[in-house]
Amino acid sequence: MTSKRFLAVLVVLGVSSTATFNAPAPGETCLSPFVKRIERPEKYLYVFCVDADAKDNDFLAVIDVDAASPKYGEILYQLDLGSKGNETHHFGFTDDRTHIWGCSLFSNRIFVIDVASDPARPKLVKAFDSAKDTGLSGPHSPYAIPGRMLISFLGGKDGGVPAGLAEFQNDGRFIRTLEMPKDAPYGYDVAIHPDLNRMITSSFTPPKNYRKPLAKMDLKQFGDKLLVWDFRSRKVLQTLTTAAAPLECRWSLKKDAKHGYCNCALADSIWIWEGDDEGKYTTRKLCDTGKLPVDLSQSPDGKYLFVSCFASDEVQQWDVSDLKNPKLVSTVKPGVEPNMLHLTGDGKRMYTTNSLLSTMDRSDDFWVRLIRVGPEGMKMDPKFKVDLTKFKTGPARGHDMLLY
Amino acid sequence: MNRSQQRTVRWSPFVLSIVALFGLMRAASSDEARLGVIRTPTDFTLTAQDDKSFRLSSLRGKVVLVSFVFTTCNGSCPATTHRMDLAARALAKAGLSEKVHLLSISLDPARDTPAVLRDYMRLYDIEAKRWTFVTGTQKEIDEVLADWGMWVRPAANGQLDHPSRVFLLDPRGRVREIYDLQYFRPSWVREDAQFLLKESDKR
Repeated sequence: MTSKRFLAVLVVLGVSSTATFNAPAPGETCLSPFVKRIERPEKYLYVFCVDADAKDNDFLAVIDVDAASPKYGEILYQLDLGSKGNETHHFGFTDDRTHIWGCSLFSNRIFVIDVASDPARPKLVKAFDSAKDTGLSGPHSPYAIPGRMLISFLGGKDGGVPAGLAEFQNDGRFIRTLEMPKDAPYGYDVAIHPDLNRMITSSFTPPKNYRKPLAKMDLKQFGDKLLVWDFRSRKVLQTLTTAAAPLECRWSLKKDAKHGYCNCALADSIWIWEGDDEGKYTTRKLCDTGKLPVDLSQSPDGKYLFVSCFASDEVQQWDVSDLKNPKLVSTVKPGVEPNMLHLTGDGKRMYTTNSLLSTMDRSDDFWVRLIRVGPEGMKMDPKFKVDLTKFKTGPARGHDMLLY
Repeated sequence: MNRSQQRTVRWSPFVLSIVALFGLMRAASSDEARLGVIRTPTDFTLTAQDDKSFRLSSLRGKVVLVSFVFTTCNGSCPATTHRMDLAARALAKAGLSEKVHLLSISLDPARDTPAVLRDYMRLYDIEAKRWTFVTGTQKEIDEVLADWGMWVRPAANGQLDHPSRVFLLDPRGRVREIYDLQYFRPSWVREDAQFLLKESDKR
C-alpha cells in the first residue's frame, strides 16, 4: 500500500495522524514506555501498604485524588491482600493499564490486581510465590513489556546472589528467568528505551542482607554496577561502574537523548549513563544530593529531575538542561523521610510517601502528601495530607503509588 | 618432535572439537535469551474472508505475524494494518514471502463479516495469498481473545477499546514475540522472522 493510499484510508476513516501513531504521553515518567497513559487528570491514587507491625494483612489503599470530588484526599477503599509480613514494595501497571502487579520483598509474593473493572474497588486476581518458578528471590520492579511483565529480582534462590530478571505473561504464567552475570550479580531496577533497543538494570543488595536491621547490614554486599542490555536479545552488552547502590533508572525524556540517570543511595549522588553514536555507554557523577537519595522522577520534558532524600528529609528539584552544570532549583521538606515520588502526566502534581523498608524506617508517622510543581519550583500542598496511621489495624507503611 | 609434542598433536583435533563444542554451547546459550517461548496458543478454526474455514494450524511450518483489528476502527487499527503491510514489504524484500504469513483476527465479528473483510482488504490493497483475515461467532472470537491474553470492550466514543499488540509465531505455532504498535519496526520483524526460520532449519 502506498503512503498516499494509506493517507486516503485514514481520511475515509476520519483518523487523525496523532491518533494513528498514538504517541504515548511522556508523563508519569517512572512508568514503562509500554504502559498506556491516561489522557485526563487522575482520579484515584493507589498506595501499596505494609501493615506496620506485620500483625495484620498488607493492603492496597485507594485514595480519591479527583480534584472535583467531595471526597478528595480521603481513603475510599482498602483491598486486603490476604496475607501479612510481605513487605509490599513496588508497583507496576501491565501494558494495557488494566492490572497492577505488586511485588513483596520478604515473602516473594506477587499480587496481580484488577483495577480496570472497577477502579474505585480494585480486585485481587492472583497472588503467587514468584520464587517457585523463577529460582530467584526478592521481586522488586514490575515493568511492563508488550503482553508481559518483566520483574527484576534482588536475589537468587537462597537469598544471595546472583540476582536476575524473570518474565511472566500478564495473567501471571511464568515465561523464563535471566540470571545476572557473575561479575555483576546484583539487581534492583530496570528501564527500557525501545527506540535504542537498550535496557539498563541497576544494583542493590540481596534479601540475606536487606532483611537485617539497617545497623547490621553489610555495606560490602551492595552493588555499584549498571548493566547495559540489548533489549531484544536480552543480552548483556556492557557493565558500567557507578558509586554504591545505584537504584532507580530513568532514561532521559529529552528528544533524541541517549542518556539516563540513577540515584546512588549510599553515595548521596545522582549518576548519569551516556551513550555515544556507536552505542557504547559510559558513566559519571552528575551531582551530589541530600542524604540517602532513594527515588528519582523526571519532568515530562526531561528538563528537571526530582530526588527524594530519605535521610535529610527533603525532595530536591534539579535542572539538568545542561548536563555539565546541573543546578539545584528548589527543595521542599514534606516531613520525615520522604521516599517514593509519583509525578502526574502533566508534570504538575507529585505524590510522595514516606516508608522505605521496615528494616530502615526511623519514623512511625506515615502519610501521603502532594508536592505542586510550577514555574517557581516545588511547593507543598498544605491541604493534601493523607494520614496512614489511623487504620483499624494501626499504622501502615505506604510505599509505591500508581494513578488511575 | 618429542613424545610430548606428538601427544599434543594427536590430541589437538579432540581438544579443538571440545573447544568448538563449548563455543557452540555458549552461542546457543546466548541465543536462548532471544525470542523465548511465551506461550503456545490453542489451535482454532475461524472463517476467512473467502467464507472458507480457516485453521491456525494450517500455517505450521511458517512464521506467522498476527494482529487483532476491527474494520470500523478509527483508532489504532489502521496504523496496525499499515505497519503490518510495511512488515510484509520488508519480508518480501528479504525473499521471505513464502515463509511468513500474516493473519488478522477481527475484534468485532458482528460487523466484520467475510464480505466486509474482503472490502477492507481491497481498501488496503492486501493480497490474500500472503495475508488472511478471519472472523467467527462472538463465542469463537471471545475464546481466541482469552487464549491470547487479549480483550475488547466498548469505549466511551462508541468505538472498541483493545490493546494494540502484534504477535509473532514460530513455525511450530508458538508465540515468540509480542510487539507494541508504537515500537513496531518492520526491520525488527524481518530480523526476528529470519532468526526463527534459521532456528527451525536447524531442527
